[in-house]
Amino acid sequence: MTNLVTTPPAVAARPAPAEAGKGRVNPLNGVAHLALFLWALVTAGPLIWVLLASFKSNTEIFLGKPFSLPEHFSLKTYTDAWSEAHIGQYFVNSIIVVAISTAGTMLLGSMAAYVLARYRFPGNRAIYYLFVSGLAFPTFMALAPIFGIVKSLGLLNTFTGLILVYIAYSLSFTVFFLTAFFRTLPHEIDEAALVDGAGHLRRFFQIMMPMAKSGLISITIFNIVGQWNQYLLPVVIMQGSGSDTNWVLTQGIANISVQAGYHAEWSTLFAALTLSIIPMIVVYAIFQRQIQAGLTAGAVK
Amino acid sequence: MRHGKYPFIIGFLVVPLALYLVFVVGAYLQMFQLSFTDWSGFGGFHYVGFDNFVKLMEDPVFWIALRHNLYILIAMPIVTIAIALFFAFLLNVGGKSRGGTTQGVRGSKAYRIIFFFPQLLALAIVAVIFGRVFGPDRSGMLNGLFPDSWSPWLFLADERWALLCIAVVLIWQQIGFYVVLFSAGMGSIGQEIYEAAALDGATKVTLFFRITLPLLWDTLQVAWVYLGIAAFDLFALVNIMSVNKGGPNNATQVLSYQIYLNAFQNSQAGYASAIGVVLFFLTLTFAALTLRVTRRDAVA
Amino acid sequence: MSEMTNSSLDRRTLLRRAAAVGLVAAPGVSLLSACAGSDDSGDTKQATGTKSADNPLGIDPKAGVEIVIFDGGLGTKYATDVDTPLFNKKWPDAKITYSATQQVSTTIKPRLNAGSPPDMINNSGSDIMDFGAIVKAGQAADLTDLFAAPSLDVAGKTVAETLVPGAVQQGTYGGKPYAVNYNFTVFGLWYNKKLFEKNNWTVPTTWADFTALLDKIKAAGITPFGYAGANAPYYMVRAIMTSAAKIGTEQVLKDIDNLKPGAWTNDAVLQAAKAWGEVGTKYVDKSFLGLKHTEVQLQHNQDKVAFYPCGSWLENEQAASTPAGFEYAMMPVPSVTAADKLPATAINAAAGEIYFAAAKGKNPQGGKEYLRTMLSKEAALEFTKLTKSLTVVAGAADGVTISPGLTSANDALSKAGPDVFVGYLFDTWYKKLDDASREAANQLMFKGGDAQKFCDTMEAASQAVAKDSSIAKFPRS
Repeated sequence: MTNLVTTPPAVAARPAPAEAGKGRVNPLNGVAHLALFLWALVTAGPLIWVLLASFKSNTEIFLGKPFSLPEHFSLKTYTDAWSEAHIGQYFVNSIIVVAISTAGTMLLGSMAAYVLARYRFPGNRAIYYLFVSGLAFPTFMALAPIFGIVKSLGLLNTFTGLILVYIAYSLSFTVFFLTAFFRTLPHEIDEAALVDGAGHLRRFFQIMMPMAKSGLISITIFNIVGQWNQYLLPVVIMQGSGSDTNWVLTQGIANISVQAGYHAEWSTLFAALTLSIIPMIVVYAIFQRQIQAGLTAGAVK
Repeated sequence: MRHGKYPFIIGFLVVPLALYLVFVVGAYLQMFQLSFTDWSGFGGFHYVGFDNFVKLMEDPVFWIALRHNLYILIAMPIVTIAIALFFAFLLNVGGKSRGGTTQGVRGSKAYRIIFFFPQLLALAIVAVIFGRVFGPDRSGMLNGLFPDSWSPWLFLADERWALLCIAVVLIWQQIGFYVVLFSAGMGSIGQEIYEAAALDGATKVTLFFRITLPLLWDTLQVAWVYLGIAAFDLFALVNIMSVNKGGPNNATQVLSYQIYLNAFQNSQAGYASAIGVVLFFLTLTFAALTLRVTRRDAVA
Repeated sequence: MSEMTNSSLDRRTLLRRAAAVGLVAAPGVSLLSACAGSDDSGDTKQATGTKSADNPLGIDPKAGVEIVIFDGGLGTKYATDVDTPLFNKKWPDAKITYSATQQVSTTIKPRLNAGSPPDMINNSGSDIMDFGAIVKAGQAADLTDLFAAPSLDVAGKTVAETLVPGAVQQGTYGGKPYAVNYNFTVFGLWYNKKLFEKNNWTVPTTWADFTALLDKIKAAGITPFGYAGANAPYYMVRAIMTSAAKIGTEQVLKDIDNLKPGAWTNDAVLQAAKAWGEVGTKYVDKSFLGLKHTEVQLQHNQDKVAFYPCGSWLENEQAASTPAGFEYAMMPVPSVTAADKLPATAINAAAGEIYFAAAKGKNPQGGKEYLRTMLSKEAALEFTKLTKSLTVVAGAADGVTISPGLTSANDALSKAGPDVFVGYLFDTWYKKLDDASREAANQLMFKGGDAQKFCDTMEAASQAVAKDSSIAKFPRS
């Protein structure tokens, strides 16, 4: 986490005439640096605290100074979280579920969005608004009905059930976002392909999808983040006898969190939190450029 | 030329639509249905017409919760957008002028990554962390930073400030996304516009209000809608952070939490569904209104 | 630029039109069949066997039993390592399917509604289900036959006869027993025995002695009294109610449970609130309003708080955080006045931790047989050893030294003799009243100690529940 902070700023790499700027220091510039630096502290502070707390005893966490260094450094809480609390297993489960459901969401979402954005047919608008209205539903009102639906399909406590529900609940935002995006893509290339006799399918997969790459990447990231952090849906679906081997990461963390309330193992909770945060930060740092490009293309134009 | 259009459309829509209808629309139709019943959450129910909605009108806690939602709906997006715009501006054009070109401050990429962190965390996790940030004694992160001579601030345990604390957490989590969103928008504004303005002797502040803001209007509008929807769903934060279930003294009561309390604790699932229906229409009305009002402004 | 305008126009109209879709969708509701919990017909086949002296509940010896245990302060070992092996010793062919959860309501409620509940459920924890509503919906099996059945290992006695007084009554709703409240909890004020010995502080029995001691503790730089306002104000409600019962007998609490008009404005409640409100203003740190029970209990362990109102589960809950110099002990809530109708030794001890058999499960009789196993003397003793908590099985742990805190609670229990009272039940019967009492206790203890306001607020909340016809009422005698 901390080494990201010290990443050499890319701007500095630019061949800039070093002397030129020095003479006229803009007062705003100093303020800018200060403001940005302060906000970076405000943002990183709580996360650093989590990292510190993962090495502390309960007494240190709740009675000591918040930013004092832990009395003992040991990775025991991490190995506990990984093996005893099965965070490793849940991690793998989460990766499997989120990988498949995000792929499914993107495929189905872009198919629907493409058709809704680029084809005229009766009912087009109705279907579109039906998808979009889902953004306004409070998810937990749906918990009891979802259980009944998943159960009647015989998919309780299966990855399939969880994946299908994730996809269904991600479609609103995905269709909303991608429809707007597909609409902004130029029609010329598409029409040229049509003249060349390309079929609907080929135009979608070979022309539109590559053109929409930036938008697809950014919405993929949002779906990964959203599904990775989902908690209520898996609690309802992944239950029953033997379900704890099928749990996803958030359930595992919540489990430690509730346990902490009874058996007082807070540092393990914070170790597990750190373990779950790090991969998200790595993914974001790697795809940072694409996300920004996607945002520019998808939401601004 | 139109050959195979309908089979293609149907083929592309049938699976996503079926999934959506079964799992999402099906579930919510049940919510609408239940809002007209006396269902406790267990076993059977009777239809009671609009009784739940009448009860809602007479429930003082419902109105308190609604008022809090509206406060946050108004304040949270304004503050978030203002701060995010400020940082985005600094990151993109706040730097030194070099040979006539304006550029972002040093390290803007690193800042962009750091600012985005909170967006990557589940709200539930953020809530657990901020429970400690706002700890009411010396072990609390903020109280620990204050000088020892101050008596500790109560934060969430003070009914005057509790709701504000919740709003601050939401803002903390959301800002990164909007900084990146607005940065992207500013990045797409042609450099030559700024250069031309700079040559005319425009200050940074003028640049911001005369060029950046108008050109970003569209993005701002979208941001407002997203933030508004987020303002209606404060469930995870209130559930985990609030003192005594939406307290103290109902100071952090919001609609989504009222739904939860009634549905899962008070065994009044029918009544909770009615609140759910109200919340659903409020969210939609807000979104539609926002888009309408801001559009007029834009024209004027 | 033109594209920009186009798509933004779309975005503007989009949610407005989505709103219209929502409106259109609403009338479609009537087309829906009542999918949520309408299967009251009870046509699911339930396992039964032939009743005999050896099989008093008439279970099918080959039918499996599914149990769900709450994984909290008591752990789950008592179920997996004690109860299930005991059950299988008697019924080797009945397979026990076990799972544990911390989200009881989130996991079990949908199953109850879908008509496929587990056979035996431990309803507990922060995500507890409203048991009154479960009974009203016919989801809990009538346990009359269980309590009338012979005990598994106490010869010549029925299950009911082996339990402490009041245990069956506490699981009785509208005249029939539906729940086994298994865990027997003694409530009082907890302190560190070693700290008190070191400072020569003696356990007070009168209110004047109590406040004098609180002053001394305060002078020693320790917060004299505390509870967690953020998530456990009901510990404080229990202390106030205990004082009210001691002033005016348990009838005060029965009237409250029966939602009798004027029950909360009763003089005994007012006096109790006044006495505790004063403790709140003078001896409680204001920051405790924002703390959770784990945080206050840690401070207690570190001798930063002297008295903590709680039940006898506390010692086990804190086992991992209790330092060597700390020894749990409890004392009864001191008498508020010299005219208190119950003696100073009187204590509130009650059965808690609900276990019930689902009425609509595949094997309700099997679920009850599992409960009968839990209520055997052998299982109860092992439970106490594992969890350091007493059970409702009378005398099951007698003569066994478990831990200092539990010994102290047991002593208090025997000193109280006949003056042990069950306390109030409105918190499980009427969730809304429970919520109101938590807020009122916080207001009383942290916001100036206005006892009259406490009584008036609660009286209004109680009458609001009484008037609400959608809430099922449970009379208490």
